[in-house]
Amino acid sequence: MAYSFPEEVLEHVFSFIHSDKDRNAVSLVCKSWYEIERWCRRRIFVGNCYAVSPRIVIRRFPEVRSVSLKGKPHFADFNLVPEGWGGYVYPWISAMAEAYPWLEELRLKRMVVTDEALELISRSFKNFSALVLSSCEGFTTDGLAAIAANCRNLKELDLRECDVDDRSGNWLSHFPESCTSLVSLSFSCLEGEVSFSALERLVSRCTNLRALRLNHSVPLDKLPNLLRRAPQLVDLGMGAYTAELRPELYSRLGNAFAGCKGLKSLSGFWDVVPSYLPATYSVCAGITFLNLSYATIQSPDLIKLIRQCRNLQRLWVLDYIEDSGLNALAASCKDLEELRVFPSDPFGQEANVSLTEQGLVSVSEGCPKLQSVLYFCRQMTNAALFTIARNRPNMTRFRLCIIEPRTPDYLTLQPLDAGFGAIVEHCKDLRRLSLSGLLTDLVFEYIGTHAQKLEMLSVAFAGESDLGLHHVLSGCKSLRKLEIRDCPFGDKALFVNASKLETMRSLWMSSCSVSFGACKLLGQKMPRLNVEVIDERAPPDLRPESEPIERLYVYRTIAGPRLDMPGFVWTMGDEKSATEFS
Amino acid sequence: MGRSTNSSSSSIDSSNHPSLSCASSLQTKKDLSTDLRLGLNISTSSEIDNFSNNSREQSSDWPPLKPLLRSTLAEKGSNRQRTSYFVKVYMEGVPIGRKLDLFAHNDYDGLVRTLGQMFRTTILCPDIDGVLSDNDHVLTYEDKEGDWMMVGDVPWEMFLTTVKRLKITRADKC
Repeated sequence: MAYSFPEEVLEHVFSFIHSDKDRNAVSLVCKSWYEIERWCRRRIFVGNCYAVSPRIVIRRFPEVRSVSLKGKPHFADFNLVPEGWGGYVYPWISAMAEAYPWLEELRLKRMVVTDEALELISRSFKNFSALVLSSCEGFTTDGLAAIAANCRNLKELDLRECDVDDRSGNWLSHFPESCTSLVSLSFSCLEGEVSFSALERLVSRCTNLRALRLNHSVPLDKLPNLLRRAPQLVDLGMGAYTAELRPELYSRLGNAFAGCKGLKSLSGFWDVVPSYLPATYSVCAGITFLNLSYATIQSPDLIKLIRQCRNLQRLWVLDYIEDSGLNALAASCKDLEELRVFPSDPFGQEANVSLTEQGLVSVSEGCPKLQSVLYFCRQMTNAALFTIARNRPNMTRFRLCIIEPRTPDYLTLQPLDAGFGAIVEHCKDLRRLSLSGLLTDLVFEYIGTHAQKLEMLSVAFAGESDLGLHHVLSGCKSLRKLEIRDCPFGDKALFVNASKLETMRSLWMSSCSVSFGACKLLGQKMPRLNVEVIDERAPPDLRPESEPIERLYVYRTIAGPRLDMPGFVWTMGDEKSATEFS
Repeated sequence: MGRSTNSSSSSIDSSNHPSLSCASSLQTKKDLSTDLRLGLNISTSSEIDNFSNNSREQSSDWPPLKPLLRSTLAEKGSNRQRTSYFVKVYMEGVPIGRKLDLFAHNDYDGLVRTLGQMFRTTILCPDIDGVLSDNDHVLTYEDKEGDWMMVGDVPWEMFLTTVKRLKITRADKC
């Protein structure tokens, strides 16, 4: 170029660009932009920790302050990925301890985090301020104690749905008296008790505390004191919301809530006793997120609570809410954007509550901003799905789980192909979709044709042949993640669409019809993919090549085959297999 | 994990399954010729039997619920026994434990077999194998009181009510 801006100017301009997509685009303009950008990128997000190595990341981005990493595939949440598969964070921490001494934030999802990793974090990063662990496992409260004790400027410690070994040792008491920086403390997934006096003192001195999510060991009678010490709270996760009916506790609770005028989010509610719910009413008008997933209360009590929350944007609730409660929701909460309804009796054979497709239709009619749905139910019709699709073309995330696999439209006994077809046809911005019910290859044809913005698709017990998989892989332009279980999809669709897999983050297939031979070939043909065969029965090469494997996990990577696989995982196509094959 | 393995050679005859017969008649109506000669066979998952009404109770992976919610709901299930009970199993020398569903087994034999496969070793259980053969490891468990006991010392049902976690240690250390 004959002329160009000085580096400092470009860097200043780039400092206004935050999204990864935009930063990636900037880095592709020319070599000098690539160089300038990489030195000033401060946040990185790695959607699959095996897609790249720590060394490669550090080499390209030397000045990072915030790292997000995801490990296991999503189906690990449902016990489909055997223990020991991988997703270890320690190698990343070890590399970053040397390369990023100024690291401030670490967000990990579905990774194995050990106490050693936590101790290393607590000792290596002087400005460390935020640790968010979602669906992680492998550590104990000893590791948390190290974080509490050693991180001088800790602002955020969030544990979400983690599996933590509780070693009584009172991790919370390890926050030094000098710690006043906490803004967010969330430990709702821990099982054990914490010291209440340590908790109260900590809450008192952290005057910037905005989010506090307790675990169910914190009894209700401790809550008023905590709330009085933190009237600035915006996000509260209560402990056990149960106690004998004591008027004095009830009025203390009511007063304490009334003092928290900024509360926007309420969760917890374990073992909730309905009589104590009205104590929250004074803050309900400001609540935008209500998580009642653990609240086993019946529809009338739920309705009373929801009617108080006129500004509700997100509701997570059990199906005790029933159609009647969803009708009330549709009438009261016109700002609702997200609804999740979980099954109260997931293993029962018959419906224990009166929650049907009608409830969802009602909400889709009454709530114009509804864009994200997760709905567990036992019956559905194509007509209901048509109605929902026409009512809500603004839907972006739609996950329907009809509890009994392969359930047809209960009125017509037809598959639900047409209903889901309507969803993808009308909801042009749909990014995430989960299917259920009786489905043929036709639904996949609809999806392949219409779902052009779809990024993530989850499929279970659906389809009839490879054609189904082929429709999706050849059609969905924006597809990044595809996870499939128990479908008759196999080799041919994979071969024909092998190059599509390089445009996606990952593909998971379990209990399908993918043969070992096909996996070997795929691994050989596609060196930039890791084709992992996960099979706990025995080494697959001791069985006929045509026999289906248990699980397949394919993901693009620039790091090559990983070296930390357990005995039941094989990467296809690396040097060893290549010589065997030829 | 306790799931039966898929045998690919069996397939369900769609004419005798009510919901599938609609599906296959739909299929013949649409034009199956694409520019892709896939030469497909229609096969369906033989896993369908696992999810008929009686056996769904055994499943730990359906419906798709995250672990915390799943275990909370399972415990609260009215008149229903817990469907699974996962405990951590540690092997000496391996820092990361694995989870095992004890309810997926009926007796110590099954448990020892599964563990042997999971950790690729031979486990001696004194009450079952009276003979000290070439064993590598023994199995112990931590009970509700926090004591470590040899697995097999109490009847299976009693064991289930008291076991908190399992450990596999080298036989020569015992």
